[in-house]
Amino acid sequence: MAVFRRGYQRYTGPLVSPWQRLLVIPRFVWPRLLSQRFVVVLLVVSLFWPLACSVFVYFANHLELLQNNGAGPLAKVLAINGAFFSVFMNVQSTFAMILAAVAGPGLIAPDLANNALPLYFARPLSRWTYILARMIVLLSILSLVTLIPGLFVFGMQASMAGWDWFVAHWTYGTGIALGFLLWMITVSLVAMTSSAYVKWRVVAGALVMAFFFVLTGVGQIVNQVLRVQWGSLLSPGYLMLTIWGRLLGVETPWEGGPDATECMLALFVLIGVLLAVLLRKLRPVEVVS
Amino acid sequence: MVTPVIAIDNLHVKLGRREILKGISCRLGASGEGKAIGLLGPNGAGKSTLIQTLLGFHKPSSGSAQILGLDCHKQSAQVKARIGYMPENDSFISDMTAVAFLRLMGEISGMPPAAALEKAHEVLFHVGLGEARYRPVGTYSLGMKQMAKLAQAIIHGPQLVILDEPTNGLDPAARQRMLILIREMKEQHGMNVLLCSHLLRDVEEVCDEVVILKDGLIVHQSDLEAERSSNRRFVQLEVAGDDSKLAEAFQSIGAEAASESPGVWRVVLPREIEIGVLWRLAARENLRVTKLAYRRDTLEEIFLKAVGHLRATPVTKQEAPVHGGI
Repeated sequence: MAVFRRGYQRYTGPLVSPWQRLLVIPRFVWPRLLSQRFVVVLLVVSLFWPLACSVFVYFANHLELLQNNGAGPLAKVLAINGAFFSVFMNVQSTFAMILAAVAGPGLIAPDLANNALPLYFARPLSRWTYILARMIVLLSILSLVTLIPGLFVFGMQASMAGWDWFVAHWTYGTGIALGFLLWMITVSLVAMTSSAYVKWRVVAGALVMAFFFVLTGVGQIVNQVLRVQWGSLLSPGYLMLTIWGRLLGVETPWEGGPDATECMLALFVLIGVLLAVLLRKLRPVEVVS
Repeated sequence: MVTPVIAIDNLHVKLGRREILKGISCRLGASGEGKAIGLLGPNGAGKSTLIQTLLGFHKPSSGSAQILGLDCHKQSAQVKARIGYMPENDSFISDMTAVAFLRLMGEISGMPPAAALEKAHEVLFHVGLGEARYRPVGTYSLGMKQMAKLAQAIIHGPQLVILDEPTNGLDPAARQRMLILIREMKEQHGMNVLLCSHLLRDVEEVCDEVVILKDGLIVHQSDLEAERSSNRRFVQLEVAGDDSKLAEAFQSIGAEAASESPGVWRVVLPREIEIGVLWRLAARENLRVTKLAYRRDTLEEIFLKAVGHLRATPVTKQEAPVHGGI
């Protein structure tokens, strides 16, 4: 019978599991996000570098092609090592930051502007689940430019260089996965927090970028004024590069300063602060005490 | 033993340092019966805080609130799976079509995607938004938004629907439509309704029970249906002619009566006696009936009395008899 003739009947059918419910919000947000032309363009552009790196990996494993073409000296610099993956991660993490600044502001701000949070939280959806669901949206989009290409390039190298290379360098793979995951979580939380506090998308996007640059600047000021080195802990870029350096076994470009363990601790504190700030804003009702 | 829809036991809720609910206790509705409960009170009485506590938005500082036997704070997820909520203010996702919006809400409530889509269409037709279901909710008029909010509250077939000022901003026709829908929800679909409204007429038309809050305390709780049926036994009669034998006539049918002034009587009819008997009684005594009316203790009177703006209603059960009898 046609719906409009049937009349309303209470739903008494089966309910899906909480895990399936977690994916409801991402399923509704992905199409809306990918309908934004700028997001799609950025996604495509950010895949050029992984493509170039894949070509690089191919030639590095087929030196005979280059030597036959008289490119012998060039072949010497085509080494696939920690430094190569570090550069790869640096470039892709920048794209990830820009993508988060573009895609992130539209995630929470509309719900706050339209007072939709009571509708979500009056249902079996907690604030943590809501954050996790929104985060899945960003993590999945950011994975397309970080984790997936990173692991693809690593996998490509491993398949071409052989089992011995993989056994000797498997830590690059875990380093890429863990390093990108930490970066994606940080960037996503910054984007979501910015979206929760700033209504205008452009301003919220700019705030995401500013967050990283301003904190780095503040860290430098602290270092200069107080003649210390722990001011670098305020810089998310410094934290990530130091952690990635440790994960990939690469020397960081700076002398001294906080080590990877201290940077990891500082990063967890930063993530905790961002979560606390976000949770404070995501309330179904405003309470004026 | 029948589980009450809402059971509140010595509930205290503090927001910041202010205590909003100061130890309220009540048992409202009975699960499976489809009752409507009216929640009334002046501004700042704690109605919204009570609703939000039932929804698990606020943690009680002491005491407990249960919905359908489940603790609103400790078993929040189970409670929320059984309720639908229509907030007072605009709440929607503006750039979504009504169908997509309802489908999202249905799926978050746990409905499978196909069922949620089907119900979204069904509910939108039910509330009268069938033709506008592919329009973004942000483009709706105020009345349409209210209906969309109602639709999202009932899409998953909840056992309890909490409606916060559902007729706010509606024109008379839309208001009537909303009240009909609410009545249908309880009578045809067996849903329990908690209706919070400033419009006493709405509550009076739809609700079976009423709770009146003032300063964070329950100042009145009554079963409106019982009040209505008890009111039907209290009759005000005015006659012209010699009514000296009327008191005896009333006694002969088992009614209690008191004369307020010559020709003006208050009568309490026994349950089995219909009001038509009074006409025959008056005719037998050669009296002309000039007025015959049920006592009408309106919700407005109950409300004003409860919040302290009215000392006594014109005719009440507690009033002292003028010439003995009642």
